[in-house]
Amino acid sequence: MAAEGSRTRWSPLTLLAILLAAAVMVAPLIWTLLLSLKENSALVGNSGAALSPPYTFENYRSILQGNQVFRWLINSIIVSGGTTLGVLALCSLAGYGFARLDFPFRRTLFIFVLLGLAIPEQAVILPQHQLFAELRLHNSYPGLILPGLAGPFGVFFMTQYMRAIPRELDEAAMLDGASRFTLFWKVLLPLTLPAQATLGVFTFLASWNSYWWPLISATRSDMYTLTVGLAAAQMNYAQTSGLGFLMAQAVFASIPIFIVYVLFQKQIVRAMAGTAVR
Amino acid sequence: MSRAADRRDWSGLFFVLPFLTAYVVILIYPLLRGMALSLQQVDLFGGGRFIGLENYARLFADDVFIRSVLNTFALALMIVPLLTVIALALALALNRATRGAAVFRGIFFSSSVLSVTIVTLIWRFVLAPDAGLLGETAQALGAEPIPFLSHPTWSLWALAITTIWWSIGLPMMLFLAGLQQIPGDIYEAAALDRASRWTTFWRVTLPGLRRTLVLVIMLQTAAQLQIFGQAQLLTGGGPGGATRTMVLFIFESAFARWELGYATAAAEILFLLIVLITLTQYATTMRGSEDDGGR
Amino acid sequence: MASLELSNIRKAYGATPVLDDVSLSMEAREFVAFLGPSGSGKSTLLRIIAGLETLDAGEVHLEGRRIDQLPPGDRGVAMVFQHYALYPHMTVEENMSFGLRNARVPREEIASRVAEAARVLEIEQHLAKKPGQLSGGQRQRVAIGRAIVKQPKLFLLDEPLSNLDAALRMRTRVELAQLRQRVDAGVIMVTHDQAEAMTLADRIVVMHDRRIQQVGPPMEIYSRPANSFVARFVGSPAMTLAPAEPVPGDGAYARVRLGDGTEVETRVPRAGLPATGPLQLGLRPESVTVGGADGGVTTATVELVERLGDRTLVYTRLADGLEVIAEDEGNSRLQMGETVRLSINGAATHLFDADGRGYHAEARPE
Repeated sequence: MAAEGSRTRWSPLTLLAILLAAAVMVAPLIWTLLLSLKENSALVGNSGAALSPPYTFENYRSILQGNQVFRWLINSIIVSGGTTLGVLALCSLAGYGFARLDFPFRRTLFIFVLLGLAIPEQAVILPQHQLFAELRLHNSYPGLILPGLAGPFGVFFMTQYMRAIPRELDEAAMLDGASRFTLFWKVLLPLTLPAQATLGVFTFLASWNSYWWPLISATRSDMYTLTVGLAAAQMNYAQTSGLGFLMAQAVFASIPIFIVYVLFQKQIVRAMAGTAVR
Repeated sequence: MSRAADRRDWSGLFFVLPFLTAYVVILIYPLLRGMALSLQQVDLFGGGRFIGLENYARLFADDVFIRSVLNTFALALMIVPLLTVIALALALALNRATRGAAVFRGIFFSSSVLSVTIVTLIWRFVLAPDAGLLGETAQALGAEPIPFLSHPTWSLWALAITTIWWSIGLPMMLFLAGLQQIPGDIYEAAALDRASRWTTFWRVTLPGLRRTLVLVIMLQTAAQLQIFGQAQLLTGGGPGGATRTMVLFIFESAFARWELGYATAAAEILFLLIVLITLTQYATTMRGSEDDGGR
Repeated sequence: MASLELSNIRKAYGATPVLDDVSLSMEAREFVAFLGPSGSGKSTLLRIIAGLETLDAGEVHLEGRRIDQLPPGDRGVAMVFQHYALYPHMTVEENMSFGLRNARVPREEIASRVAEAARVLEIEQHLAKKPGQLSGGQRQRVAIGRAIVKQPKLFLLDEPLSNLDAALRMRTRVELAQLRQRVDAGVIMVTHDQAEAMTLADRIVVMHDRRIQQVGPPMEIYSRPANSFVARFVGSPAMTLAPAEPVPGDGAYARVRLGDGTEVETRVPRAGLPATGPLQLGLRPESVTVGGADGGVTTATVELVERLGDRTLVYTRLADGLEVIAEDEGNSRLQMGETVRLSINGAATHLFDADGRGYHAEARPE
């Protein structure tokens, strides 16, 4: 890292500012964690009680004893996992096609796909909702997964990555008698693994956190994803079992994504920064 | 070049066809259908009736819509400058190869991986005057808690603060990436020229970050114009429509009042705004690179 | 029987022709070098033989079988790529066996061929490594090994030495020479390095401007260049081409006059030369000496002295401005700016007519 100030230490003032900012970042998380560790009754009318013991895992036990949150977690895993696998499959194939094969209208089609990068969710979500209603896909896994497969970013990303792989490798494989499929499957695809990881994590996160579409497509509570389920829970929290339990649900729901974050931090940051490249 | 490697034939099409099908059916067709929909009167039971631009005319006369546009712009104006400055400051402070800096980068980015639902859940019980962290703190200090979620101006700030907390990670990472692109020897040259830190920042760092700066501002503006979950979950658009954003307006028109055509027309206006911003970014960075070439 | 037969090959990229009616015949087990500057079409020709480029017209036969319509993997050729093109995610062993597995060669057969090639190339201890863990020279040998195990009828080498540093290049050159002793197949090597071509090849195919300029054994290419392009491209430093006027006379050999008036008696037969028109006199450094027993034929100024140890190259300029490179002994005392007398060995000179065609002395130096 060669940059301004990287050789000097932080001045006390800078350090103080960083610590203060970090405190602002972390305090709400800790507050949430503390609330989740309190008896619901102890918090009624006095959430400040969260700052002092006693603490209990009672709320988490209630979740583990069987709760809709579990169902939502599984839905989220199926939807995000399905979306990720689908995106990786479609984008790897299309990336290979656009990067390596020549077919009529290739350039035109690629530009046509690139234009899709400019389409925001809002411009399509209502007609999508109408279309999926006609196809009777609402409140189903395909209904939750399919819209995530149409985004062109992954195709753009995989095409760029495959273009950077030397053509000599394809040629070596052809002289080695590899069929077009063998070439794709055994030579190119393994070489795109870093890109697959980046795109996969990016897609998984986006799908896991998506809110608009599952909110309007999954209207039955057994088809909720975690995001939508927790939205419903916080809307009616007054009627349900209380603040501590609600916060325990939030913490519980964040655990998978924080695990993904810790495991794939490098890919996540790279994927995020990748949005800047285009 | 006609390499034998990519013999020109139709079979290559099969590799792109699966995606193209999804793309056309799920994205392009709805896009066009949306444009048509915005020219129709559609109610809950379908059955559109072509009414030309009437939806658009109604929108521009609809105070609720106008208010939501103004709210959205106000939010963008509150969020984007603060977010940009804070992210830049953090990036400058954390742009070093130490372990501590890496840990702090991880902390500031961590909120970005949370879903909007969890973010609003967390912040609802930070901001709420009766049960929130800030309210409790204020009471402990003997002060009157700020009515973050029930006062028209404060509730906008509540959304802004929540959003800044949520989305600080990406612009910070973009600035960090931008800082890495500035060659180190420029700084050495500046140091040899006895440039002060302040001068170095204004004359070396900031010009070097020009493209990143444009990118961050445009990305964030486009994102904040589409602000939805925070408003829907934290304030429900209230009090009295003070925090109803454009997307929330679209959502309510479509799924509370079931005026699909009307809602779609509003969505098309938002789409247009976002395209304009993308084009502005494109034009700005293009001009920027011409400047670079001319030097 | 001819091993490889190229007949009337044409190739164009769009409107730009890159190969124009190229024909060539290669003996079995012959080592042929395609030599030429970049853009001469030599790489395209190699890639056409490999099946990596299509051809617009013409035919390619290998051991009597027409192969130009076959996919690359079915042609019985193996290629060593310029940047090796090893599969980065496969081990050395997997790299070498990939082609055999695609060809459904029995497992034991694959194992024994790979083991044999690894032994010969001394890469046995690297079989389990990935290419990224190998040095440049080791990668080169893996690339060669990958070609050997296929037991092809023809090896195609695309600039095989260009990525190696000077020391490794010499070593690999030796290895390539040994390779061709070991394998029962022809070898074609594309190179722009004449030293490589001269050392390794049985015959050199000089290519330029979409065409084959000359085909022949290295020393013939060097001593009897078919035209002025070959004459200047082969040999280092390049042959001097001095504009020359024929001097009328009736001797058996042509006599020419240089721009500064010097007359040179060549050993090129006067018969066969064009009756009129300007000529060029081709002078290699070793045919021009400083001083000399006869006291020299012309006077020149020394501009640069390049001491090579065993001999010295003297860059001189004649009175009319023509630059001539001469040779002097290793311990030459010449200094820049000195005026010297040059002798020209007429028996080792060449003449080129207005079209660039070469005419050579009767008694060959070799």
